[in-house]
Amino acid sequence: MPKFSRRTFLKMAAATGAIGSMPVYLNRNKFLEAAEEASIEKVPTLCNGCSNMCGMFVHVKNGRVWKAEGHPIHLKSRGRLCARGHGTVADIYNPHRVTQPMKRVGEDRFEPITWEQAYQEIGQKLMKIVDEHGGNSVVWMEHGTRGKQYADILLDYIGSPNYITHYATCFTSKTNVWPKMVGTTLYGDHENADYMLFVGRNFAGGIIPNGMNKVLKAKERGAKLVVVDPRHCELAIQADEWIPIRPGTDLAFFLALAHVLITEKLYDVQFVRQYVSGFDEFWQANKNCTPEWAEKITSVPADKIREIAREMAAKAPRAFLETGYHGLNAHYQNSVQQAQANVVINALLGNMFKVGGLLPAASLELGQLDKPVPPAKEKGPRVDGAGEEGPYATVEPGRGIPQLVPKLVDEGKVKAVFIYHYNPLRTGPDPEYQKKMKDAELVVSIPIDWNETSYHTAHYILPESFFLERMETPVNVNGHITHLSPQIAYRAKVVEPVHDTRSLLEIMQGLAKEIGASKYFDFTVEEEAEAMVAPLGITMEELRQAGCLEFPATVKTGFPMSALGKPSLATPSGKVEFSVGVYKANGFSGVPRWIAPKVMPEKDNEFRLIHGKQPWHSHHITSNNPYLMAISETYNGTWAWMNSQRAKQLGIKNGDKVTIASDLAQKQVQVKVTELLHPDCIWIPSAYGGFSPKAEVAYGVGVNYNDFLPMQVEPIAGSVMGQEVIVTVRKGVN
Amino acid sequence: MAKYGMLIDAGRCTGCGACRIACQMQWQLPPEIAYNRLEHREKGTYPKVKWEITPVQCQHCDNPPCLHVCPTGATYKRSDGIVLIDHKKCIGCKYCMVACPYGARTLDHEKMVPEKCRFCADYVVQGQQPPCVSTCMNEVRVFGDLEDPNSKINKLLATGSVYQLLPERGTQPRIYYVKR
Repeated sequence: MPKFSRRTFLKMAAATGAIGSMPVYLNRNKFLEAAEEASIEKVPTLCNGCSNMCGMFVHVKNGRVWKAEGHPIHLKSRGRLCARGHGTVADIYNPHRVTQPMKRVGEDRFEPITWEQAYQEIGQKLMKIVDEHGGNSVVWMEHGTRGKQYADILLDYIGSPNYITHYATCFTSKTNVWPKMVGTTLYGDHENADYMLFVGRNFAGGIIPNGMNKVLKAKERGAKLVVVDPRHCELAIQADEWIPIRPGTDLAFFLALAHVLITEKLYDVQFVRQYVSGFDEFWQANKNCTPEWAEKITSVPADKIREIAREMAAKAPRAFLETGYHGLNAHYQNSVQQAQANVVINALLGNMFKVGGLLPAASLELGQLDKPVPPAKEKGPRVDGAGEEGPYATVEPGRGIPQLVPKLVDEGKVKAVFIYHYNPLRTGPDPEYQKKMKDAELVVSIPIDWNETSYHTAHYILPESFFLERMETPVNVNGHITHLSPQIAYRAKVVEPVHDTRSLLEIMQGLAKEIGASKYFDFTVEEEAEAMVAPLGITMEELRQAGCLEFPATVKTGFPMSALGKPSLATPSGKVEFSVGVYKANGFSGVPRWIAPKVMPEKDNEFRLIHGKQPWHSHHITSNNPYLMAISETYNGTWAWMNSQRAKQLGIKNGDKVTIASDLAQKQVQVKVTELLHPDCIWIPSAYGGFSPKAEVAYGVGVNYNDFLPMQVEPIAGSVMGQEVIVTVRKGVN
Repeated sequence: MAKYGMLIDAGRCTGCGACRIACQMQWQLPPEIAYNRLEHREKGTYPKVKWEITPVQCQHCDNPPCLHVCPTGATYKRSDGIVLIDHKKCIGCKYCMVACPYGARTLDHEKMVPEKCRFCADYVVQGQQPPCVSTCMNEVRVFGDLEDPNSKINKLLATGSVYQLLPERGTQPRIYYVKR
């Protein structure tokens, strides 16, 4: 077992002098002093730095978290962690956490209350609202979907259908399209591919450490990597070629790729004949989408489009168009059609269910704890209209439309809002609009830290225990990268809570007691977990020791076929459907066809405002992390990027302060003048612009794209259309 | 006796900063003190442009200028090649910061000691890898024993084309970089 040497550790502590009276686990210096003799405990758990939940070992010494390392088996980390993984672990000792339940007593004033008082007051107010306005007036919003298993019980009990996730700000077009066209979601088999085309997807920004490792392994083998993106993203550093594209026009690029594949007969005719329906409808709608047509729209040379299509076809089926994540899927008026075109390209390459192409996620069916469920209650239509008859019939009801909630509060349709692990005031459009949520009769936020939503809208803040302080139920390890063998892992409690915080289940149990729902929450997370792994023939003790267990392969290559030899995808035809019937039935085109972006920059001082994930931040959720923000500080991470030619025309030099303005806001920011960006846009990282005074590290640092973005709803999937916003930029701050 | 060295394939780096913070956690450093850094460069003009990132840290030179200028002998070189600082002897004069051509020293304001990468001296002797090496998803760094003909680093050094930073300064660094 490793030991710290006296020289390095004791000296560090001694040299610092004053040591306060804080408990040893809160004080870094005191910890160093005490570290000499303590043994190290290595506890496997799952990271919470983003939503990928990488496996990690957390090293604990003297009851204090020391450091983390990647779990060597876990598919997503494979022994490695990114910056946000390390930073998130350190955040357990962040001084700006909410340390006990809080009640709002004024505009910017809160007072600490006991958990019992919080449960009583929230319970009474909630049941009064349900009695007077019905369960439909209650909304549960969360990042999704870690709280769903408990939120569902509460919502069933009070008769509310309104479970809402953050997906509308992220990848809702993808999750809407793939089940309808393919019946499942497929992911790139990066490791075995010979040609990888990434469009609007920065694997080195939204990081799965082993995903990036797989891409580099493929490159070492000779695979080609092409990145199409308005910004030379970090992944493009590894690319054979970076091809800048006019933002918002990726759909035209895809349609032209399809045009080349079809007109030059490069597509997998056999695959399309056997496994695709709606090909003719697609072709009739898009036969004029030539590379020359696309060049005018996208600024990508027609010959380059031909070259990519030909090279991909030559490498097919070990070639794919990456199926994407946040980038493109909640960004534009044409995001849904873009996601549809992604399916079309991959199907034309005939790469689905093939090694080196696209593969389904490996997963195992988990058990479920047998427990009483609330009596069935009549639920009205969803208050946000998702999946209901009306304008949002095709929006997934399981995801909802979070950006409508402030409006629904304003209209008196939503009376109570529960917000779990979610911060729409900063990560949703138009923060001033979002603040309307405060006017509901009851607003409860369940966060870790003093995020903007809690500070500006919550009536009650119920602090959840940090991810290292709580246990969660086991999960299948999958998504975004592929692996033939399924893995099961879980988030273990590593240390006792530092503050007076509770797990979500404990919070729900406290609340349930006040509203007469105790018997539906009468279980422990340990009991749930044991029941979930029972069908796998393992115990939680085995999983606790290993952190992550791998099982024999479940993913089979080859197109899924029925016993009768017919294609058996979970789509109406069993085939890949180029035309979506549900879209057609609701007055939309079934096949993707060109739709222009909603807004375009025109004047000399106008730009499209685009954003992206910085490699060391998870959008805004890591913005109050001192370690990660120190990286931002070191590398001018808050600066807005501008193409050098545009900057020259506007008289802007590197480091200058400029004023960015839209109809909604006018903000000042410094500019990085760069060759690494398409001239039509300004790029800003999605991490900044904190405006909660109690989140002191993030407060007032940088700007956020949501400051400028109006509330909008894309009609098919309900996204926020996060890059349909034009800003003007001028030098100076007056 | 091992002679420790490092090979950095800077062309693989995508700038995530995991090396910086893994090191900070290992040594329990405050957020603003980092023992390694990334140098960013843009080469070319839009759209034909390259973004190059180079990780830089203490080069553990065999002829270390920081050691030569240290008036108290606080900076010393172990027989395994690792350059370290004896905090007890350091008077905080900062000559070493000025002398280092790589800007590898950073002043720890709490301790008033010009700190730097330690090549994880306490850990590598136990056979562990420095966390800047082991956490990197892109496998940018390889650490090992330059005396051991079978070490991964030696095999890579034998096959690849490498260079060192500022060779004209005569510092004889222990860190090699793979040519892009």
